[in-house]
Amino acid sequence: MKLSVVCISLLVATACLAVAPATFAAEAAPDNPDAKCLKCHSKKLKKALEDGETMILQVAGDEFEQSVHQVIGCTGCHRDVPKGKHPSRQPISSRREYSLKHNETCSQCHAAKHMDYKDSVHANMVAAGDNAAPVCSDCHSSHSIQQRAVYEPVSGEPCSTCHQDIYDAYAQSVHGLARANGNVIREKHIQAPICADCHHSHDITAVSASDYLRETCLECHDGAAVAHEKWLPNAGMHMKSVSCAACHSPMADRRVDLQLYDNLKQVPVAQQDNEGTYQARLEEIDAAGDGLDSVELWKLVRQGSRQGEAIDVTLRGRMEVTTGVDAHRLAPRGQAVRSCESCHQGGANGFENVTVSISMPDGRKQRFEADKKVLNSVVSVDSVGDFYAPGGTRIRLLDGLLVLALVGGLAVPVGHIALGKYLRKKNRKQ
Amino acid sequence: MTTTTMNYSHQHGKPEKVYLHPVPVRLWHWLNALGFTLLILTGLQIRYVDLFSLMSFETAVKLHNWVGFGVIANWFLWFIYYLFSERVTNYHPDLDPVSFFQRYFRQAGYYSWGYFQGDQRPHKVQPNDKFNPMQKLTYQFVMFISAPVTFLTGLMMWDVRRFQGLIEMVGGLRVVNTVHVLMFILFVGFIITHIYMGFLGKKPSSHYKEMVTGYEEEH
Repeated sequence: MKLSVVCISLLVATACLAVAPATFAAEAAPDNPDAKCLKCHSKKLKKALEDGETMILQVAGDEFEQSVHQVIGCTGCHRDVPKGKHPSRQPISSRREYSLKHNETCSQCHAAKHMDYKDSVHANMVAAGDNAAPVCSDCHSSHSIQQRAVYEPVSGEPCSTCHQDIYDAYAQSVHGLARANGNVIREKHIQAPICADCHHSHDITAVSASDYLRETCLECHDGAAVAHEKWLPNAGMHMKSVSCAACHSPMADRRVDLQLYDNLKQVPVAQQDNEGTYQARLEEIDAAGDGLDSVELWKLVRQGSRQGEAIDVTLRGRMEVTTGVDAHRLAPRGQAVRSCESCHQGGANGFENVTVSISMPDGRKQRFEADKKVLNSVVSVDSVGDFYAPGGTRIRLLDGLLVLALVGGLAVPVGHIALGKYLRKKNRKQ
Repeated sequence: MTTTTMNYSHQHGKPEKVYLHPVPVRLWHWLNALGFTLLILTGLQIRYVDLFSLMSFETAVKLHNWVGFGVIANWFLWFIYYLFSERVTNYHPDLDPVSFFQRYFRQAGYYSWGYFQGDQRPHKVQPNDKFNPMQKLTYQFVMFISAPVTFLTGLMMWDVRRFQGLIEMVGGLRVVNTVHVLMFILFVGFIITHIYMGFLGKKPSSHYKEMVTGYEEEH
């Protein structure tokens, strides 16, 4: 039924276009329904909302005429109007509420895109009640909806509307500069990515949620894995435990993130389970609120393993950059971190900042501060079993044992020689 | 492999010399000494880049890996030699622990008292029984437990992805590294003691000469 209405609307709109002049004007032919709408909505109409705000009801006719939706006309989306249900008499609680309602309208024609969007971090944030999370119209606008090609230039739109700082970092990165410079990379014409090439347009996953972004890097840099294996010992493990940006954004601040992970289900542990939230558990364990130390971390993992059904919880470590801005400051290959000593020594920058993270329903991570000493504690042998960087995260207790072995080893000859001297002296006296 | 005893006493009136260390054993021993020296140096460099800089981390890792494989191959030289030699009895466990530990403490007493009094060594060295109880227990532990565990944990860290299943089974990379370092610490203590004990022959150079010529020096 709905589909037929859309089709009829499309036909009507197309028919109207065929007979109507190219320009929209309030004085358009009376059988043009859009002209009827614009007769009022080209004026500075306002509507008072229940939340006290005011909604501007003016639509720029020329912009709508240029939009891709011009072909379906006003009633293509505002379907209640032809049914005599003009919303002027209906109360609207807020602009957000109105946008959310029309988000569903988009899905009636763009079902596939909407399905992609529904699983995205944006949609999850909307579902979680985040009023800043974008709906369709926030990226595509309400009435000036343009073709995909319009979004491709290096303007950063629409992503930069919310992620301006990240876009600025991208614009100065090897990708952004190449894009602005005619896509010339290493004297070859290679299409440098814009936002959607890495993050996708609608099924945007939380960057921290999985390994998908690394796979995205490798989709273009398909020789990277082999290239790393030529010089980097345990290249596969490095690529799993170190984010691409941690090395390829050389000026970035780095940290180690320890994500709670269910080894049996092979998925990150969710914030919420039958026993309550991990956040509550963390706050209970770290009652002082001074960051999790190694014993508290061990308690967290052990407690996690004892909840209800048998689960095997561990902490999966990964070195990453600290901010999204840093993640986009990607440098040319020659400037990437190449020196092993950058990480593999005590006091290295990346090990000074440690967080423990838990997956939130929207796919993002909730992070909690941890004491950096957890990486060097013998207690962490159990809780942080899979993350170890020789030199950088060495266990201090073993350093002490090595000194003890050296001292003990040297004590044998020194003690034995001293004993010999003592006994000979004693024998001489006798 | 046959046991060789050169009976100098009958022909020349000199004390009997016993052939203690056949060529494969001496070859293994000195290759091992060289290998372990390099492994300790590179291992310390890998672990303590922030404290000293003998070579780059990258070089230390490469050298450590190559020498590690060499030492593993060398262990098999030792193992195969003894497996097919009658001298394997040197490593046989003593089936009478009470008697063994009595002799063990007698040997310890000798080193702490009798040695300085010029007493006769309590253990008579023979080609098929050349280790005193203290040596035997130490070498059994080093060769059958410590070295293989170090090799295995080293291999696991050499290629983490290849041994991922095994690493997860034992509790993770940090567990593997901790065991590897613990074994290294034991080796450090062992080697210092081992080098010193080498000087406790009749003359300080006696045991070192034995490991070169193969023949027991006079006692």
